Amino acid sequence: MQRDKFFKEIENLNHPNEKLIKTHCSYCGMQCGMNLRVNTQTNKIIGVEPRYDWPVTVGKMCPKGVTAYQQTNHKDRLLKPLIRDDASLKGTTKGFREASWDEAYDLIAKKFKELQTEYGKDSLSVFSGVSMTNEKCYLTGKFARVALATRYIDYNGRFCMSSAAGGFLRSFGVDRGSTLPWTDIHETDCLFIAGSNTAECHPTSMFRIWNVQERGGYIIVVDPRETPIARRADLHLDLQPGTDLALANGIVNQLIKMGYIDEEFINKHTNGFEETKELVKDFTPEYTSMLTGVAPEKIIRAAEIYGKAPNAVVMFARGVEQQHKGVDNVSAYTNMALVTGKIGRPKAGVATFTGQGNGQGGREHGQKSDLLPGYRKITNPKHVEEVCSVWGITPEEMPQPGVSAYEMIELMEKKTIRGLYLLCSNPAVSAPNLNFVRKAFKTLDFMVCSDFYLSESAEFADVVLPAVTWSEDEGTVTNIEGRIIKINKAQEPVGESKPDWQIQVELAERLGKGKYFSYLKTARDVADEFRLATKGGYADYYGATWDKIDKQDGVFWPCKNENDEGTPHMFLDKKFYHPDGKAKICALPYRPPAEEPCEKYPLRLTTGRVVYHYLSGNQTRRIPFLHDMCPEPFVEIHPETASKYNMEHEERVRLFTRRGEAIYKVKITEAIRKDTVFVPYHFGHEDSINLLTIAALDPISRMPEFKACAAQLEKVELKKVQ
Amino acid sequence: MKKRLYLELENCIGCRSCLAACTQCGGHEERNRNYVYDVNPLVNRQTMPLMCLHCENPACARSCPAQAIQIHETGAVLSALVEKCIGCQNCTIACPYGIPKFDQEQNLMYKCDLCIDRTKDGIPPMCASVCPSNTLQWLTDEEIENKKKQFNLDNGKWVTSMPYLEGETNVKVNLPGILQGITKLF
Repeated sequence: MQRDKFFKEIENLNHPNEKLIKTHCSYCGMQCGMNLRVNTQTNKIIGVEPRYDWPVTVGKMCPKGVTAYQQTNHKDRLLKPLIRDDASLKGTTKGFREASWDEAYDLIAKKFKELQTEYGKDSLSVFSGVSMTNEKCYLTGKFARVALATRYIDYNGRFCMSSAAGGFLRSFGVDRGSTLPWTDIHETDCLFIAGSNTAECHPTSMFRIWNVQERGGYIIVVDPRETPIARRADLHLDLQPGTDLALANGIVNQLIKMGYIDEEFINKHTNGFEETKELVKDFTPEYTSMLTGVAPEKIIRAAEIYGKAPNAVVMFARGVEQQHKGVDNVSAYTNMALVTGKIGRPKAGVATFTGQGNGQGGREHGQKSDLLPGYRKITNPKHVEEVCSVWGITPEEMPQPGVSAYEMIELMEKKTIRGLYLLCSNPAVSAPNLNFVRKAFKTLDFMVCSDFYLSESAEFADVVLPAVTWSEDEGTVTNIEGRIIKINKAQEPVGESKPDWQIQVELAERLGKGKYFSYLKTARDVADEFRLATKGGYADYYGATWDKIDKQDGVFWPCKNENDEGTPHMFLDKKFYHPDGKAKICALPYRPPAEEPCEKYPLRLTTGRVVYHYLSGNQTRRIPFLHDMCPEPFVEIHPETASKYNMEHEERVRLFTRRGEAIYKVKITEAIRKDTVFVPYHFGHEDSINLLTIAALDPISRMPEFKACAAQLEKVELKKVQ
Repeated sequence: MKKRLYLELENCIGCRSCLAACTQCGGHEERNRNYVYDVNPLVNRQTMPLMCLHCENPACARSCPAQAIQIHETGAVLSALVEKCIGCQNCTIACPYGIPKFDQEQNLMYKCDLCIDRTKDGIPPMCASVCPSNTLQWLTDEEIENKKKQFNLDNGKWVTSMPYLEGETNVKVNLPGILQGITKLF
């Protein structure tokens, strides 16, 4: 299925005394296919072999993928539960002692019960993540609502994908990250890529992206930095961080003025065109240029290329989504596809580069404060009833909607939330405004953290539970395309580590909720209940059985029954998911970033990733090759700006905002705007750039504005650094 | 069908996946054997791999007084035989591209052997297998000929050859600039 010109029949090299386990990478949404090499005598993972027969990535892997296997038998793995009795040591690695699972479970059950007896059900919270299987994500939602009976559950997608979700829901009435399979990308005629450092964050997309140019097509890149993809793009729109909405409005205005719109498509299949046309008409190239810093002729040229292209794909990522108007940015760029009708057919559409491995599936099935499995709403009584019938509880027992990730942390600081069960996430590095966040974690009466390494967030926990890595469990993940794929188990769990679904079943039993969980004995048991729970929701996975996933090289949702092969292309019938079947073209007034530069803080700070690290770096900083390639953070500065501050390449300088400060090594490059500085966010403790970032939240997605705030630089005297 | 390593320098994104993969072929003692350079890091993000080109008449082998560097029947110029290498480092000086590396501790040279355990059986080397940008590809001569037609620059510079290189090489390299010769779709 979906085998294209890049696919070649290649046999793998089989070393003696080894077997290959087909699976996918543990990291980003690309979910590159890989084979793990397992020694058949020790039954341990010892290496990696390309998976040439995976149709999306045909054996290709980035350096994180190549070395991902080194996580499993790493010396830093947590082998036993850890308990810390002295709460004054919170925020450090000190004071932990090894304990048995029984002791850890007993302590957690006792503390959770005490807190809920004294302060009510909602005094507990669950903070989870989407770098884990659909089965785990699903069960985490059920665990919070049924075993803990708390309304407070949310997840790290709020720092990642939630603006894309909000934008797609508003524009299309459905949130599937890509309207088309990745095997279409190289066949389109124009890629418009905004706020995505694709070459570093989704490297295995690059062979398809470059192929567009090799065929004579165009690449347009929107980024404040001249990233590797921007360097080769036909057009680089070098905007100021946080001004995407103005740029998108400006381009839509040009598309209308230059006559590239598809009136028949607009009339038949969309609402909102006239209001939008009215609103964007103020966004002339000159006015848009004034707001964004992009030259007017580049804006006109971008509209001309995108407008002329027979087929085009609008793509974006965290650069546009991690803003306090991230949802508006997503809908505004999506407008480009809707006014030109370049959607609902092969080789044309809209896609977001999903950040986390299961960023797509993990947000659909009930880890979000207001969602239930199958993308159902917890505020919709019918949806609640459907899920209750699978869970065996009454609708009255279903908790109310909670609040978003960062807002949960605010409630911890206010002592409304007193207990936390954290899994699959490292918010002590990845959340914004970290001085506040770390203080909030210290304020908690009781915190449990489940992870396979002692993360910076685990340092705030009272109990740390050793979880397994992705290679020691099985289940499904939904990749960047919306394709449900299968992760396979390659070795037995290291030490006493356990998969999170098993931890939740056993913990639920201790909490007296065994009857809702005890029958889930294997990952497949969870998978079967999960598929049933999604049945009838619009993210319907019911027909995506593990056998079908294996046979078809993955299944695109929705997949409603046994005979349904899934939905690689969305909207081929031009039917969108709003009740009237139409998409919404959104009229979106521009607003600047929450914090604009001023005399005291004249620079724009933006953050992002490097190719060698993943998210908070808790995994990748421990891998020798990746550590060697990028051992520490840096601040990227244009030479003219550096000269103004009298700073040299590799000099250590102080970067600060209204919220925090850090010392970074200067990296001088002309490949960034003069008014902007960039720092990667993968580093912990005093190196975290999120000590400086702002927690201005998007009104819909509750996404913090990681991508733009006001900052200042200062030279430091040598003695201060030492 | 014989395949060759083919490099399209224009595509490199500097991810160094080729170096990570080099350590994983099972026969490389987990040491990577090639290079990726930042071309002009203070100015832009251009990068390029520098791989062993597996010369038809390799200077490294010619300079070796111990005949430790053998040429495989596939054309791959192998790493020095451990039992023959005397650690003189002639090869590291002789190679016009600076490819052979030297292990001070073991007093032995080591270099890219084109993952001979794989390529002798027609399996692509690790670097070309994983390269996310198709900078490194494993192609038949016919496919390389098609590339030559596709990227015709009318100046003979599409691929490294005399006089740009010291001599003929088994690995073919496409220099930056290939996109200049492409006719746009619209």
